[in-house]
Amino acid sequence: MKYIDLNKTKQTKLMFDKPGNYTVFFHNLSGEFDFNIKSSGVNLDILGLFVGKKSDQFELKTNQYHIAPGSTSNLLIKGVFDDKSKFIYQGLIKIEKTGQKSHAYQKNKNLILSSGVYVDSRPFLEILANDVFCTHGSTTGKINEESLFYLKSRGLDQKIAEQLYVSGFIQEIFDKIKPYSHPILTSEVRTSLA
Amino acid sequence: MKKSDLNFDYKFGFSMPEKNIFKAEKGLNKQIVEDISSLKKEPVWMKEFRLKAYDAFTKRKMPNWGADLSGINFDDIYYYIKPTEKQVNSWEDLPKEIKDTYDRIGVPEAEKNFLSGVSAQYESEVVYESINRELNKRGVIFCDMDTALRKYPEIVKEYFGTLISPYDNKFASLNSAAWSGGSFVYIPRGVKVPMPLQAYFRINAERFGQFERTLIIAEEGSFVHYIEGCTAPIYTTASLHSAVVEIFVKKGARVRYTTVQNWSHNIYNLVTKRSIVDEEGIMEWVDCNIGSGVTMKYPSVILKGRKSHGEVLSIAYANKGQHQDAGAKMYHLAPETTSRIISKSISKDGGRTSYRGLVSVSPGAKNSKVYVSCDALLMDESSRSDTYPYMRINEKDCEVQHEATVEKLGEEKLFYLTSRGIKKPEAETLLVNGFIEPVIKEIPLEYSIELNRLIRMEMAGSVG
Repeated sequence: MKYIDLNKTKQTKLMFDKPGNYTVFFHNLSGEFDFNIKSSGVNLDILGLFVGKKSDQFELKTNQYHIAPGSTSNLLIKGVFDDKSKFIYQGLIKIEKTGQKSHAYQKNKNLILSSGVYVDSRPFLEILANDVFCTHGSTTGKINEESLFYLKSRGLDQKIAEQLYVSGFIQEIFDKIKPYSHPILTSEVRTSLA
Repeated sequence: MKKSDLNFDYKFGFSMPEKNIFKAEKGLNKQIVEDISSLKKEPVWMKEFRLKAYDAFTKRKMPNWGADLSGINFDDIYYYIKPTEKQVNSWEDLPKEIKDTYDRIGVPEAEKNFLSGVSAQYESEVVYESINRELNKRGVIFCDMDTALRKYPEIVKEYFGTLISPYDNKFASLNSAAWSGGSFVYIPRGVKVPMPLQAYFRINAERFGQFERTLIIAEEGSFVHYIEGCTAPIYTTASLHSAVVEIFVKKGARVRYTTVQNWSHNIYNLVTKRSIVDEEGIMEWVDCNIGSGVTMKYPSVILKGRKSHGEVLSIAYANKGQHQDAGAKMYHLAPETTSRIISKSISKDGGRTSYRGLVSVSPGAKNSKVYVSCDALLMDESSRSDTYPYMRINEKDCEVQHEATVEKLGEEKLFYLTSRGIKKPEAETLLVNGFIEPVIKEIPLEYSIELNRLIRMEMAGSVG
């Protein structure tokens, strides 16, 4: 098990040449990040969290390169955007001819809280091997009206209900990094969200 | 199955001797553009439109994205060929070679059984055309573009080139300068055309680029289903097909446009297709790309009116040496607009399929919903599949969903089928046909039978 916090290590090109489980986390980072999988038996989780406020602007590129066969990479980027923030995301999964029996996943979920927000999501796939399983998904939208209605029907006011929904939305990331993360880290991230 | 059955793309692979009245020189220049226009006795505005477009064509650069287009030599193409002197109204009056060509594709049977009007395109002009009298009575116009320009100049002038301008892209400019043939469809207010309108396309001269131009106008509350199907003979050198299709869907109208594209493998198929939809209108593109060497085609829907709906259902099949770069574009400009894109692609024997799509939600397009789903099947290790979706969201109150999967044929499903006594090639065919079923069921019966048959011929005995 290896945990890599890109906000701390400042890496942009990561190499995975030994089998094992890896978890990579980053938060509000712009830039291009390469994940080169050069060994079989790599099990890589990539988790990104973005919270945009005011005139925040993030431009993110991720590249999952499966060069070796028989590895798994699983990317999840979640973003919550308010005010006039912008999020431009381009994610690529590339399975080379040598990357048979790879499993690669890519998911981007964005929540828009204000009408001034701009989201540009481009989940790309380039698959050159056939015995693989790759999926990507991208959803962008507002807070689910029905969920809000339910919370309000239980006596919560609009603002609290929205906050609860948003914190539930990003909790998925925290749950996945919990085994590694220091409580101080999560509280840092949480403060930046508040 | 026997090896010979595999060559479905050569099924219509014959080339009749050419017998043409007029054939322009190879290449395109200002003089040829002017000649095309004066030969067709076009009004001045059309000639100017062509010259403007030619100018834009010479200035525009080739696209630097998508498929490899370096094999196109614009100077090695005939831009205009006029096959016969006059249009003929009955099948018997057609020249023998042309009749033979169509007999082999099976137009007359198709017509007898299914069609309410056939407009067959041989080389660059529509030579045979018969329209159901009933449709004429109801005011439906279905003719080739050149006739439309002569007989209905006001309608043509009002719409022609307004949705896809001659400056839109290099190939739209080329088409605008050199266009010839294509269909014109006008459906008056409230008229629902009960049967699909069809045009068969065929190009027969070597190195001959076909630049047809189609314009469909569906007035308020009307409905039409237009079908274009292509078969082309084999060529020894690369050929270019660059069409422009503009569709206007008025309030509450619905247009469905079905394409079954089966060009031979040396053809560059670079097509610009766009539609604009008013309030509560529905536009549906059903796009099946089986043939051609390189296809770049992204049918677009501009959802301009409140509650309008756009849909693209596509199948792409790439065999050895083919690259299908196809997709869809949805522009949500108004509130409560919805769209759906379903793309299914199959790559085999080193073929490459790419889905390239754009979804754009503009500010004010409140409560819009978008659903995109792309599934790709890779038949062997030398094939390739790409997915390039773009989503630009500038509105809070919307839901945009995209999902894609890439996989090979399920081992377990294959195992199950073979354990029930079905031979492996048949089992594979069954699974592939099942994979494209959601799109196949949307197209008319005779085409879906043909498509299933094509897939079966492509698949049989050649995998695994």
